Amino acid sequence: MLLTLLAVGFVVFAAFEIIPGDAAVSRLGSNATAESVAALRTEMGLDRPFFVRFFSWLFGCLHGDFGTSYSYGMPVAGMIVEKLPITLCMSLISMLLCIGVSVPVALFAAKHAGSRTDRGLRSANQLVMAVPAFFLGILLSWLFGMVLKWFTPGGYVSYKKDFGAFLAYLILPSVAVALPKCAMSVKLLRSAILAEADKEYVRTAYSRGLSTMEVLYRHVLKNAMIPLVTFWGMAVADMIAGSIVVEQVFNIPGLGRILLNSIAKRDYPVVEAVILLIALVVLLMNLLVDTLYRLLDPRLKEEQG
Amino acid sequence: MIKKLRQNPDLLFGTIFTGILLLIVLVGLIHTPYPTTQMSAADKFAAPGLMHIFGCDQYGRDIFSRVMEGLGSTFVIALFTVLIGSVSGVLIGSLCGYFGGLLDDALMRVNDVLFSFPSILLALVIVSLLGTGSVNVTLALGIAFVPSFARIVRSEVKKQAALDYVQSARLMGASHFRIIFVHILPNILPVLASSVMIGFNNAVLAEAGLSYLGIGVQPPRASLGRMLSEAQSFLFTAPWYAIFPGLTIVLLVLGFALLAEGMTEGGRDAS
Repeated sequence: MLLTLLAVGFVVFAAFEIIPGDAAVSRLGSNATAESVAALRTEMGLDRPFFVRFFSWLFGCLHGDFGTSYSYGMPVAGMIVEKLPITLCMSLISMLLCIGVSVPVALFAAKHAGSRTDRGLRSANQLVMAVPAFFLGILLSWLFGMVLKWFTPGGYVSYKKDFGAFLAYLILPSVAVALPKCAMSVKLLRSAILAEADKEYVRTAYSRGLSTMEVLYRHVLKNAMIPLVTFWGMAVADMIAGSIVVEQVFNIPGLGRILLNSIAKRDYPVVEAVILLIALVVLLMNLLVDTLYRLLDPRLKEEQG
Repeated sequence: MIKKLRQNPDLLFGTIFTGILLLIVLVGLIHTPYPTTQMSAADKFAAPGLMHIFGCDQYGRDIFSRVMEGLGSTFVIALFTVLIGSVSGVLIGSLCGYFGGLLDDALMRVNDVLFSFPSILLALVIVSLLGTGSVNVTLALGIAFVPSFARIVRSEVKKQAALDYVQSARLMGASHFRIIFVHILPNILPVLASSVMIGFNNAVLAEAGLSYLGIGVQPPRASLGRMLSEAQSFLFTAPWYAIFPGLTIVLLVLGFALLAEGMTEGGRDAS
């Protein structure tokens, strides 16, 4: 895993290296003199060989020093640490919403499989899956902000000022991020439950006199969760990406704002750090999924040991 | 055929939605009710009505005409994205799956990381390297879609390569190249087809997201995502400005998803 992270870091660093455009030139503007550009290059350390810079950057990252932002002149680590809680909070709320809503809905749909409610749910599901998260965000902010006036669009409160109000503001954006994923996991979980329900152990459980509820919760759900764990693991990364877009809809100054601004300004140290951070989250999620797998499916544990 | 459609509502609605939108795109290529960039102060924020069925935007431009144009760009970008992604994905995936070995290990390890990286984020990074614009966005999205195709194709090819018919073809003196492209690929076509359709939808969503962020098709050309981001400032005065382009995206994605669903179901019934 560390090796993969190293590889990602190298690819990212190298990619920003080979593109045309000199950071020193773009910082000074196109009509800067050659001497001042050269001076700035030395100051920024751009005149050193590629590998020297890569390793010094790498060592910096290991120590939590991601370099200095070209456009703000501030340490990148500080900028990101300040914004990270916003995006993470949003992704966390979305994830909780997604799991909390999809499991009961899927259970309900699977229990009433083939009925009119089930078919209605399925159509609703298809529809929700087709809605881009940012459009959902716009619709929600229109409905709740302008028609119902339950919340103020753009009235973001910093988490340092008032944590409660901060969380309250994050609810709608999180719903916007979560709903499409939620629809997808309802669909997956429903079919996983139905596939499990056909198996013999379910019949055995029934013949032992267990009630539908007991069979469903104690046996079927546990097995049906296995494919879902993979999906949710991947959904976390998608939700972070989704938050980055939806943050723009609700005017939240999170990681997305930093990433987009620094892409526009070619502020590569910041872009590199954000990507590396997201890669880290993705890899940690993969690790977590693997661990959960072992817990849910003891067969895998035996194979390993 | 009609009977089949009746029994399969997914296929029916999918065909209808996709058909209507395709028609709009095709008509939009030759004719739009109003020129897409024609501004008119008198029509500023005109509500949807007989003259402008989707209403007008802040410059008095006809939204329906702009939706037609934007839908066209979305369509083309998504199409080429899937094309780039699937062709490169098939090449990489089939080579890795068929030959295995060190190259396979190395490529798939990179692939796994890229795969778990959200494609819109990947595209965003590539765009930041290449610069904005519709060609670059298509390229970026295409590259971002390679890992998922490569992964699917690789696992399918691996399954097929272990089967007896590959052995026999090899014994008959067929080259590796011939086995991959003539014998194995046709067998994985159904899987590939469904992932292409899902990929198309993801491409539409990703393109809309990127153009919402202001990357992608550049003004004055219309794009659905950018219309949404502009409309956001006028949600109170002109909600239709956001609603129609948004609904168009929803309809496009929904239609295609239903079509894909209906086709898999139809295939399952047939076999």
